[in-house]
Amino acid sequence: MYHLFHGLYEFLTRKEEFNVLILGLDGAGKTTFLENVKTQFNKVEGIHPDKIGPTVGLNTGKITLPSTILHFQDLGGQRALRGLWHRYFAQCHAVAYLIDASNRDRLDEGWMVFDDVLSSPQISGVPLLLLANKQDAPDSLTVEEIRETYEDWWNRKHQSQPRTPLSPIGGTGWHTGEEERRRMGSLDVMGISALQGTGVREAIDWIYIRVQNSRKRDEPDD
Amino acid sequence: MGLTFSSLFDSLASLTGWRTNQDVRILIIGLDASGKSTILYQLHLGEVVATIPTIGFNVETVVYKNIKLILWDLGGQSSIRSYWRCYFQNTSAIIYVIDSSDKDRLKTAKSELLSVLDEDELRGVPLLVFANKQDIPGALPAAEISEELGLAGAENARPWSVRGCSAIKGEGLHDGLDWLVSSLTKS
Repeated sequence: MYHLFHGLYEFLTRKEEFNVLILGLDGAGKTTFLENVKTQFNKVEGIHPDKIGPTVGLNTGKITLPSTILHFQDLGGQRALRGLWHRYFAQCHAVAYLIDASNRDRLDEGWMVFDDVLSSPQISGVPLLLLANKQDAPDSLTVEEIRETYEDWWNRKHQSQPRTPLSPIGGTGWHTGEEERRRMGSLDVMGISALQGTGVREAIDWIYIRVQNSRKRDEPDD
Repeated sequence: MGLTFSSLFDSLASLTGWRTNQDVRILIIGLDASGKSTILYQLHLGEVVATIPTIGFNVETVVYKNIKLILWDLGGQSSIRSYWRCYFQNTSAIIYVIDSSDKDRLKTAKSELLSVLDEDELRGVPLLVFANKQDIPGALPAAEISEELGLAGAENARPWSVRGCSAIKGEGLHDGLDWLVSSLTKS
């Protein structure tokens, strides 16, 4: 009898677990974002932004949402460490890519790396959220401007082989090249300030809703 | 009956977070002469003590942010590395110390580390790698050490971090411990 109730209790309070990868160039604010998420959603205070240095390795964080547990994995973004990212692709259910919207000099580098992530076949089916971070900085680019710089970059990249398959997906303005057309997961862009925490909750909500659909990704493993 | 109450109390206490003083067992391992004992006493006393090669082990308790860390510094000579496994049970975190200036033995350091990480008892346990002796000219920075070790991918549940430090100067140790404690408390 006890086991019956216990099983019922377990069934009702069961929580699905999902992995969310946090990627981006070094200095984009990935660890600050993770610590802010932890501060906002968990009772314990995350590490203070002043104390966060460059990550070499993997930081993890866990937040509990209704019927869902999100495990965050924040990987180092330095050039030498980017080669490790793909090893975590197989087990992830969502990707958050951070770009520093206040650093115009490194946007091109950021887009190049973003394009690699976007076109990785292993994660073509998982939701990908682009976060234009550092909106608190006075000269940071807005979400619209960020989108435009990506289009500019994309056009420049494909200038050598001119073709016009530039059809926006659902009017969002995302170019879909041959390789990106195979993308099945959702894709969106949001502005946040990881330092002040603005927009972080909306970003988590976006991920929370999208991962519910990626459950089927687990099934072949069973 | 007593057991029932005790377990009830334990679960209540963990719910409300009364138990501030949790004991956390942390192993400090690494090759010989990488600076494990110096790091231990730098964390414990805040000063550099003259150390001799450790044959057995040193244990010190450090209270850090309301958490009681029990740091076990195990001898790293090749003949006694096989005894590390005796200490793996109930370990909450591993600190692996590497001599960043000793490029010849990086491969040995890597293979010893990977064999430790393979252990079932240490599955998912946070790993902090101290790339020690950054004060020596020519020492490899943390990112290069990380590349040499090739840590990623073996398992995804384990948080890991490679950090440069200098045990002699006391630099980088507390940042590393900060990271370790934060990755312990949230899991």
